[in-house]
Amino acid sequence: MSVTLPPGRFTRLVLKVNVFLLIALVLVAAFLGMVAYKQGWLVRQSPLHFVTPNALGINKGMPVKLHGFTIGQVSELKLAEAGVDVQLSIVSEYLRRIPQGSYARHAREAGVIGTAVIDIVPGQGTMPLAEGAAIRFEPARGIAEIIDDFRRQAVPAFNEVKQAMSQIGRSGEDLTTILSALRVEVEQLPATHRAVRKLVEQATKATTELNQQAGATLAATERVAHGVDRALPALSEKLSASIDSIDAAAVQLKKTGQEAQATLRNAQPLLDHSESAAREAGDVLSAAKRVWPLSDTFKEATDGMLPIDSFEAQGKGRVR
Amino acid sequence: MSRWLAACLVALIAACAAAPIERGSPAQARLSEAQARAAAFARSGDYAGAARFYGEALRIATSLENADAIAANAINLSIVDQWLGRDAEARAALAAVLDEPRAGFSERRKTQAELRRAILEAGSGNLGAAEIWAGEAERRCATRCEYAAAILNVRAQLALDSGHAAEAARLASAALERAGGEAGRPEAANALRTLGRARHAQGDATRAIEPLSQALAIDRELGDPRKILADLNELARAAEAMGDVRAARDYRERGLAVSRAMNDARSSAELEALLRR
Repeated sequence: MSVTLPPGRFTRLVLKVNVFLLIALVLVAAFLGMVAYKQGWLVRQSPLHFVTPNALGINKGMPVKLHGFTIGQVSELKLAEAGVDVQLSIVSEYLRRIPQGSYARHAREAGVIGTAVIDIVPGQGTMPLAEGAAIRFEPARGIAEIIDDFRRQAVPAFNEVKQAMSQIGRSGEDLTTILSALRVEVEQLPATHRAVRKLVEQATKATTELNQQAGATLAATERVAHGVDRALPALSEKLSASIDSIDAAAVQLKKTGQEAQATLRNAQPLLDHSESAAREAGDVLSAAKRVWPLSDTFKEATDGMLPIDSFEAQGKGRVR
Repeated sequence: MSRWLAACLVALIAACAAAPIERGSPAQARLSEAQARAAAFARSGDYAGAARFYGEALRIATSLENADAIAANAINLSIVDQWLGRDAEARAALAAVLDEPRAGFSERRKTQAELRRAILEAGSGNLGAAEIWAGEAERRCATRCEYAAAILNVRAQLALDSGHAAEAARLASAALERAGGEAGRPEAANALRTLGRARHAQGDATRAIEPLSQALAIDRELGDPRKILADLNELARAAEAMGDVRAARDYRERGLAVSRAMNDARSSAELEALLRR
């Protein structure tokens, strides 16, 4: 059976296949280029390496960080005489930021948990590390080591707590002693009560005696009051006479004041006359000043202005 | 004969005739009284009292819209305030004239106010501002303006304080020329003093003595102890620069006597310290 194909379907087929392949090739090349770019294949890398007796936790491709910033990755691990030789690929641009004396340590981004990285701790040198240089490595501490460290620090604290607790226990013994002593004291309370009652009786007796003495004192005070009572009328009469004198003086003063006021009232027209006379005299004087031939004599030298003196510009005008 | 007598009598009466006495409003009377009392206080040396009454007069003049009295009292108040060391108040008083372009002050009053402001600024050490105000006053002042000598003297002092001794000498000489007549004698003395100072600053102490001595003679005639003291101090400096220690000491002793008589403690202390050296 033969199928009849439409005419022109496969015309220029080779060309179309070639174009398709070319596009596919371009796309593959672009993809590879992008991957290379992302992987840093296009960036120049500088090697560094360190040897560790135990490479547990270190993997190929693990990021290498400086101050928390990724500057490269673990490129290769090789078994060596002293352990494992770990090769690091550092972006050449960042190598100059790693000074001599720097070392690598295994760390995690968030303390105990988090992504494992190789952290470069910068040294104190002034020159950067050379390409391919070997650096010191500080392995990460395991959980067991951390717990052991914690135990080392916690034990003394626990011992102190234990000692404090035992002291509290001994204080409980002291409390027992105190309670015993208190019980003895309570047993002696009836005797104390009897002694207090006796004291109160004695105090009552003393108060009675004091009362009798106070009566005698009051009688004496009464006698003194009688004496004062006799003296008071005479004193009152004298005081009354003094008040009368002051009153008379005040009346006299008031009268004098009134007289002075009347005098002033009488003098007021005279003062008014004086003022008016003075004003008129002033007017006459002013007129005289304005009349020839006196006008020239009394003419004022200025128009009432104080002198505008450049001497003040020297700042000495304040001391005048 | 009787005709001649009558004519003489008429002529005498006509000569004695005077304008009627101006009886202004009560406010006008208060203004005149405040001005008179302020002037009396200023003459007696009570500058605080003078400032109080010039302020009162300025207030009354403002209420009467009397431009001339406003300007006169504002300028007088600024002078008294400066004597009291109240520079800010002195500036504020002058603002009543300088900051009121619509008030219709005469050119003469404006010149006075600008000159006063220049003097005030120079006295306060604001040389730039003083130069500007002196320039304004000079621009307003005509060729033979009555304040030409004072303006030139201020400019001379500013030039001297700015270190331009030659320019100061030139301006002081010009001020001396303009300070004519009896009214100009104080400014003539100021010009001579500035000329002496300028010559001294130029290193010519010998030629400084003459104008300073002339200034001292005028100031003694005018009877202003502040200026006498200033002249004696400048003469002492010039004599010292010439190497005439004895003359310098003599001038300083005279200055000390003047400053003690003025109760000027600061100048007395300075002169005593110089005499102890």
